[in-house]
Amino acid sequence: MTAEKLMMLSGAIAFLFTLYWVRKREMLEKLAIIWIVASSFFLLLGLFPDILKIFALSARLSFSTAALFIFTGLMYIFAFFASLAYSNLYRRNQRLTQKIALLELRQNELEAKLSKKNGEGDVEPGQAPLASL
Amino acid sequence: MAGEKILVVIPAYNEEKSLRKSVEALVSILRTSDILIVNDGSLDGTQQVAASLARELPALSLLSLPINSGIGITVQTGLLYARSKGYDYVIQYDGDGQHDPVSIPAMLRKSVEEKLDLCVGSRFLKPQAGDFLSTGLRRVGIQFFSLLISSMTGIRVTDPTSGFRVYGKRAIDLFSGYYPDDYPEPEALFWCVRNGLRVGEVPARMHERAGGKSSIQFMGSIYYMIKVTVAILVEKIRSREMIKDDS
Repeated sequence: MTAEKLMMLSGAIAFLFTLYWVRKREMLEKLAIIWIVASSFFLLLGLFPDILKIFALSARLSFSTAALFIFTGLMYIFAFFASLAYSNLYRRNQRLTQKIALLELRQNELEAKLSKKNGEGDVEPGQAPLASL
Repeated sequence: MAGEKILVVIPAYNEEKSLRKSVEALVSILRTSDILIVNDGSLDGTQQVAASLARELPALSLLSLPINSGIGITVQTGLLYARSKGYDYVIQYDGDGQHDPVSIPAMLRKSVEEKLDLCVGSRFLKPQAGDFLSTGLRRVGIQFFSLLISSMTGIRVTDPTSGFRVYGKRAIDLFSGYYPDDYPEPEALFWCVRNGLRVGEVPARMHERAGGKSSIQFMGSIYYMIKVTVAILVEKIRSREMIKDDS
């Protein structure tokens, strides 16, 4: 298999994969854009390998495959910032999880107090409405 | 220890078989302390067992994380609760029957007398060394972290992976703001020493798990070693300032 064919095939697979995840709503459309652009780019390079040569020539790169290193570098930067965003979201998710649990306990305690005050007997822990969410 | 407000935090994940026994053993030793079970999104009957214990024991509360979040988040949630209720000391005690509550009074005494921020129950300190010292491979890991932390801080630690701990008020406050996520014990200990908190160890008795499954399996052990080592080395190059509370 030639490099061009390999590029075309991987571009098509990457494109279809991206569409699959977006269709399943497991990837946000706005985040899928970069991957659709990347896979389309590989597909185009496979179809028209001269694009790489033209780009390398205009960027004064000594050999055309060096252009691929530039694109790999760009993808690395994107993936790096995606990891940063993931870390940030992870921390926020942690805080929300903890807040939910603490609020649920507080709700249970208040409901138990209220029930006792009204003489309705104890509310079972974890049986408050929030627990069923 | 009169007048000190004490809370026992029991992080529990899939501990339906051992939780009741652990709590009963604890209550037989600590009759007056409050207990908080933090259920970390267990998939078995832990929630039901804990809820039934909460009905039987007025001093026991149950806090349930809606999704499985890991030991670090579970313990930190207990610390957040303790901070909101103004507790002076938090005892971290496992729900799997590994920690012998007989050691708790000595841990608390040392924490109060020496004004410790973090007191670790060590299974390797004599003369009260327990009947279970962990498996061979894990002991190598524990030895490695002991050497790493001791050499980097100049303080002798014998059981940095022990989750049997007493947190003082300052540690409760600080760890409510930041606490490592997964495999937190060695990293949290190192963080305390580096940031000038008072740390000590007390001999503690431990047993084999009464039920459930350890969260660290073979592949997990390799990840554990790498992750914790990297975390400690990164902590070493961080500036020594208290981490800001982002809650």
